[in-house]
Amino acid sequence: MDQSAFPVFAAIVASIVLEAAPFLLLGSLLSAILAVYVGDGALERLGRRHLSAQIGLGLVAGLILPTCECGVVPVTRRLLKKGVPPGAAIPFMLAAPVVNPVSLASTWVAFQGDWHMVLWRAALVVLPAAALGWALGNLKSAELLRPSLDMAHEAGCGCGCGSAHEHRRPGLAQGVLDVLRHTGREFLDMGLFLMLGACAAGLFKVFLPQEWLGLVSGNLWLAVPAMMLLAVLISICSEADAFVAASLSMFPRPALLAFLALGPMLDLKLLPAYLSVFRRSNALVLITLPALAVYVLAMSLGLLGVLK
Amino acid sequence: MSVLRDFLLTLQDRLQDMIDGLCLLCLGGFMVALARSGWYWYFLNPKFSPLTLGAGALLCVVGLALMLRPKPGAATSGRLLRQAVLLAFLSLAATAWDQATALPDFGALNPAAYQQEIDALAQEPAAPQAPVDLHPLKDGNTYTRLNLPELYIMVDKGRTDYPAHFAMRVLVVRTPELTARGHVLLRRTAVVCCLADSLELGFLARGKDGIFDGVQSGQWVEVFGRLEPLPDQELAKKNSREPAGAGGSATGNATDSKAADKSDKDLVQAAPTGQGPSISLTNPKFRVQVESVERIQPPGFPYVFEFREKEPFAW
Repeated sequence: MDQSAFPVFAAIVASIVLEAAPFLLLGSLLSAILAVYVGDGALERLGRRHLSAQIGLGLVAGLILPTCECGVVPVTRRLLKKGVPPGAAIPFMLAAPVVNPVSLASTWVAFQGDWHMVLWRAALVVLPAAALGWALGNLKSAELLRPSLDMAHEAGCGCGCGSAHEHRRPGLAQGVLDVLRHTGREFLDMGLFLMLGACAAGLFKVFLPQEWLGLVSGNLWLAVPAMMLLAVLISICSEADAFVAASLSMFPRPALLAFLALGPMLDLKLLPAYLSVFRRSNALVLITLPALAVYVLAMSLGLLGVLK
Repeated sequence: MSVLRDFLLTLQDRLQDMIDGLCLLCLGGFMVALARSGWYWYFLNPKFSPLTLGAGALLCVVGLALMLRPKPGAATSGRLLRQAVLLAFLSLAATAWDQATALPDFGALNPAAYQQEIDALAQEPAAPQAPVDLHPLKDGNTYTRLNLPELYIMVDKGRTDYPAHFAMRVLVVRTPELTARGHVLLRRTAVVCCLADSLELGFLARGKDGIFDGVQSGQWVEVFGRLEPLPDQELAKKNSREPAGAGGSATGNATDSKAADKSDKDLVQAAPTGQGPSISLTNPKFRVQVESVERIQPPGFPYVFEFREKEPFAW
């Protein structure tokens, strides 16, 4: 890296982390509240519902809760630990960053009220999210998650005391202190992957030759995978990516749609988080299946002439 | 002696929690300081500064909770790694901040404009900014003030209702090749959320002979002008591959299109890409026919953070 590139790299890494940090903190806080105040197994009754109902529940939760991809992984991990079945938690994790009202509204604004882009974007995320809920929904949380994040506080109770005993619900002062401690540890756990992902995205942003955008934009077969690759590499927040996509109007719409659908499910911030939170085989499914589904669906839309 | 030893053992046992807390306190403090500084725009859209400030303050509280009420815990390799990565990130962020302070201080160069833009971004999005005159009259023409990304977005969407005559504050980029071909590049950087999503948007521009004489590359100007199709666009229109209409200044019949200077066709490729972190896009269909140029003070921020598609424009 030459001297002039390093400050640019540093600025990009800093801006990605600083943008994501409040949302990661919010996710960590929510996770900490669940850990401290929701009893182990309290949400297990959701697991008694039919798998399709679980998937529907996860998708609806994603629709209602304004969660971006920066904070959704710790929340999902905690939900799984509290007994939410994978059939609901996985669709929630994948769909929430896109189908929430803020993200859909930003897509609508960026594409000048084009409902087709909004609805197709939601569809291209909901379909793989539901499919993964179906594929992983019969697993138990213990089969889905790695046994430990090998960080600070995975053993035992929610307060992070390190023991394996069950706590009574804490009083207000103790509860607040437990939530704060837990938030800090969760933030540090997931922040590690955010920072590593931001570094990777910064490297690509600095060294990615811009000329290739023009070279591949005219060919659907190249444009769709190229935009999917761009979505993964530059790791933009799901609430801002629509504006970037709208500006890349030299690309066909299916390629823009692939960019908008894949980024919130798979980028350089999420990749290390998946690999650290989920067992390797499950993480690989989470990485490959959405990419494959988005590619097939976006190409189909382009080849069938549904979107031009 | 045993009391001291017990204290040291307890401290050692709880040291990791305290270091975690210290790391969070440093990150929180950095975020608070940045949000309160005049350099926040270098990283993020200023409208997010309250969010960064709040998150930074909460991180400080969280860090203090870990530091003051630590729990016993071992120094695992995972904990050491995340502490090291966080400290490395803080060094990187401090480097970037230091780099930002080496740039011209836009707030100091034009404090009134800086404050005006801060105030405007702090208001509701729909609140209009208050430029001196949104519709200046010049040489018998009434111009509409807007910013370059606003014009770019409208044109890019194929809209035809953009102002026929407009005024924009832009950075001028000159290269020997463009100068030899009678053009300059007008550029603004648009930022939606953060530097990572920034786009350098540009229009090629030309005007009557000598209109850009004395204007150096990197200077800020206000241009008054109108759009005209680039030659490729005229040919494309002739071939009916594009919907007719964008811009009121299209002149072309087939003869005019053929007569268009063929050497202009690769002008867009001649436009330089930026050296910064943004994706550079030069409008491939239109250029600005400049009718007047005025040198100006730099705007409050070098970046554009707000885009509207109808009047009043964010300018």
